[in-house]
Amino acid sequence: VLTAARMASGMQEKQYTPSLLNFFVYNPTFGQKEGEEEKKILFYHPSDVEKNEKIRNVGLCEAIVQFTRTFCPTKPAKSLHTQKNRQFFFEPEDNFWIVMVVRNPMIEKPNKDGKPPTVEYQEEEIIDTVYGAVVKQCYSMYKLFNGTFGRQMEAGGVELLIQKLEKFFYRYLQTLHLQSCDLLDVFGGISFFPLDKMTYLKIQSFVNRVEESLSLIKYTAFLYNDQLIWSGLEQDDMRILYKYLTTSLFPRHSEPELAGRDSPLRPEVAGNLLHYGRFLTGPTNLKDPEAKFRFPKIFVSTEDGYEELHLIVYKAMSAAACFMISASVELTRDFCEQLDGLVGPQLTLLASDICEQFTVNRRISGPEKEPQFKFIYFNHMNLAEKSTIHMRKTASVCLTSVHPDLMKILGDINCDFARVDEDEEIIVKAMTDYWVVGKKSDQRELYVILNQKNANLIEVNEEVKRLCATQFNNIFFLD
Amino acid sequence: KVQLRTATYIRYKANSECQNNVSSPTLDKETEDAATDNDRSDSGEFVVTMLAKAKLEEQGIGVKGRSSPLLEVGTQETPAFISHRDEDVTAESWRQHRKHVFVLSEAGKPIYSRYGSEEALSSTMGVMMALVSFVQSGDNIIRSEHIVVFLQKGPLVLVCVSSSRQTEQQLRGELLYVYYQIISMLTQASISRIFEHKKNYDLRRLLAGSEKILDGLLNLLDSDPSFLLAAVHCLPLACSLRDSLSQILQKAITPNLVFSILIARNQLLTIVQEKTVIEDARLEPADVHLLLNLIGASSAFQAGEIWTPICLPLFNPDCYFYAYISYLDPPECTVCLLLLSTDKEAFYAVAECKRKIEEAMMAQNSLSLIAKVQSYSVSQVGVSDLRHFMYKPFDVPDNYRHEEEKMRLLDLYRYMHNRIHSTSRPLKLIYHVAERETLLAWVTSKFELYTCFSPLVTKACAITAITKLLRWIKKEEDRLFIRYPPKYSTTPNPSKSSRGGKSDQQDSTDNGFLSLL
Repeated sequence: VLTAARMASGMQEKQYTPSLLNFFVYNPTFGQKEGEEEKKILFYHPSDVEKNEKIRNVGLCEAIVQFTRTFCPTKPAKSLHTQKNRQFFFEPEDNFWIVMVVRNPMIEKPNKDGKPPTVEYQEEEIIDTVYGAVVKQCYSMYKLFNGTFGRQMEAGGVELLIQKLEKFFYRYLQTLHLQSCDLLDVFGGISFFPLDKMTYLKIQSFVNRVEESLSLIKYTAFLYNDQLIWSGLEQDDMRILYKYLTTSLFPRHSEPELAGRDSPLRPEVAGNLLHYGRFLTGPTNLKDPEAKFRFPKIFVSTEDGYEELHLIVYKAMSAAACFMISASVELTRDFCEQLDGLVGPQLTLLASDICEQFTVNRRISGPEKEPQFKFIYFNHMNLAEKSTIHMRKTASVCLTSVHPDLMKILGDINCDFARVDEDEEIIVKAMTDYWVVGKKSDQRELYVILNQKNANLIEVNEEVKRLCATQFNNIFFLD
Repeated sequence: KVQLRTATYIRYKANSECQNNVSSPTLDKETEDAATDNDRSDSGEFVVTMLAKAKLEEQGIGVKGRSSPLLEVGTQETPAFISHRDEDVTAESWRQHRKHVFVLSEAGKPIYSRYGSEEALSSTMGVMMALVSFVQSGDNIIRSEHIVVFLQKGPLVLVCVSSSRQTEQQLRGELLYVYYQIISMLTQASISRIFEHKKNYDLRRLLAGSEKILDGLLNLLDSDPSFLLAAVHCLPLACSLRDSLSQILQKAITPNLVFSILIARNQLLTIVQEKTVIEDARLEPADVHLLLNLIGASSAFQAGEIWTPICLPLFNPDCYFYAYISYLDPPECTVCLLLLSTDKEAFYAVAECKRKIEEAMMAQNSLSLIAKVQSYSVSQVGVSDLRHFMYKPFDVPDNYRHEEEKMRLLDLYRYMHNRIHSTSRPLKLIYHVAERETLLAWVTSKFELYTCFSPLVTKACAITAITKLLRWIKKEEDRLFIRYPPKYSTTPNPSKSSRGGKSDQQDSTDNGFLSLL
């Protein structure tokens, strides 16, 4: 929370990044009688807050929502800005509200003579769309592993819902790193792995073969190196599953793979030298008949509601395959062994094929020490995102190679684009003389940052044209 | 003169009337205080005068059949000022208004509402007050389809609910203007005092009849970009004409006269100020806007001469000036003379100044010269691709004559202004290609410029156009802007006026954003 201090004429300023103050879930239709207000609160973080304060805070949210309904009944409050913090309101299901309170970033400037330091709040640093997207993502992630609130209520009433909320959010909130949220959170996109046709076909036929042999499998997804290649799931489901895989599951299991061959960290390949495949979810050691295992259950949407599925994630080297099977089926050890035997060798082979192709391509296109252009690209239609600005993005760290203020300018431009449906182009010159170009064309957005202080508008335009011609095949047509 | 005498008469009469109409002990105390406390005598008298006039109207006694300066009779209203007081606040149409503004006291008592009557909205206002007190003190906003901005200034709470897509900073600035307009009628000191004395005082009693002024201000804020740019719109005059008018004003002075202002068609012709006391301080654009609104809000000012107390909030929020207001060209009433004095008894002396000014202007045929002046248009600039520009001040081209389009264009400028002047990530330049137009905004240490082109313009074209425009502006600078208000001295040995001092609006280091905030 506390980042490096800034030296200013001998006195140190402390910069505090945005942090989570509160997160709660409530339903105003529960506990409407006097004295029963506590029943409205389904989850509240931090839990050690006094009961009356919780009730008061929830009551305030209710009042704000009601108040804004006076002016627009269908679209009530989204956020509340105060000097010290920002509150986000989200109603994912009828009458169920999720509220997140973020403390604004601030600077603490020390005062002379033992006076308490002055605190300067930086309200403008928080962009509503970014954190609004984070709240939505929190709900989507909960829904992925627990289904909707409504479904929980049906299955086990309020008590079950409260239990599930507690169990999920207690852990999930600890993984939120609000200081590194930015435009990419607004997109919630998926990074696709660029492949040549041949290799793509190989993967497709692999998926078909496995699905045919193991008829229990309903959906499959195929990833390589944190990037998606193929998915049989609906877009919205895949995007949240992708987030889970790349920010939670894969990082947890990546260390052993990166370790050297003789390292004790390397998992027991369990005497199976035929392939490098292993389960990331489910049985960690197939050889041990006593070991119990369980697959995580996820909920995906169907035409008429939801279905619950086992999530099997199986990895070989850098390739990962996800298999989803109806939760009503019990998955036995035998089944796992069958899958292991079938998928292991094929996936290992595929993984090395892809790796080879990848290296070959790199050799052709030349090593990219520092990408020539700093840009972010997102396609709303297939959720494809690409960023040469973010160097490593996991749940805990997001290194960007540009100043955070520039990222916020991108956020502003994205907000501007969202106001209208039509194609637009916005070019701005920041105070630091960096140029930022945003293009929106036909459901695609592109943001380019140019560090060319002495360039003028025409020159900047030409540079971006060049980028579009090479990387984007002239998708963007504006002058 | 006749009016003033009548006003004085009314004042005396009203004091006794008020005392006769006492209904509660607290009311008694108030009027007594108002009448006897010398310190407060200004606001007390002002208050009573207004109330009294209203009262007399009710009884059918008018001042020569005309309504008081700050109240309006139905038939004389222009469509723009149709009162929304009686709107049904539960109707969909009420909700559809682009921007609601509410003013209430800390105790939750309603003071003003732009649409709908305060009575009908008292419960909504109660909720607003509750929100203000629950949420931490300071300036808060709620974002939904609308933005709700709360602003607390002293004992007053102002709330704006807007779907206009303006930013919170811009809306806060507008609420501040509303606050200042209220101050301009009552002064900040007296408002503080009143509420200190009585927390649940109903301020509407002092503001009765002034809803029109606030309505007018809000309409102007919506449609006039000079508020956004914190600049005063000047009528472009040939240097010689402006100088001659300034000289006329400089010569017609009297002790305690501090500002002399000539306005034509709501644009500034010239402004001159007293130099010893005022020195280099100048009237902030916001004060000028408030003055212009006050004058324009009521066509009753067109009657003869008005002498009224007025506070200039940015200049000094705690005291009154006394404003002499008179149109020089009845019945068209396009040219208005405004003389501000610090002496409330100086009506006759100041009226004498006006007579001198009128004579001199007649001799120079100024009025007809002024009538001939045209506001500049884009075509004069001679740049074919340029549709519209705003260069502190600005111009209005044909494309955007229609009200809605004007509003849309102004909204676009407002959005760019906000991005450029962002406190955390300001910008130097924005080039925005949209479906219906291309916009370019540019701020340097010397100026800020907002331009609008056809959507198909190329970047090269736009840049050429801007260059030509800037060259034209430089050439016409003297005609378009007032840099230095000429000065005079009202001390016993008045010396010749001297030039110098800060410019009125074309401040070379001014980046736009505000003395208003």
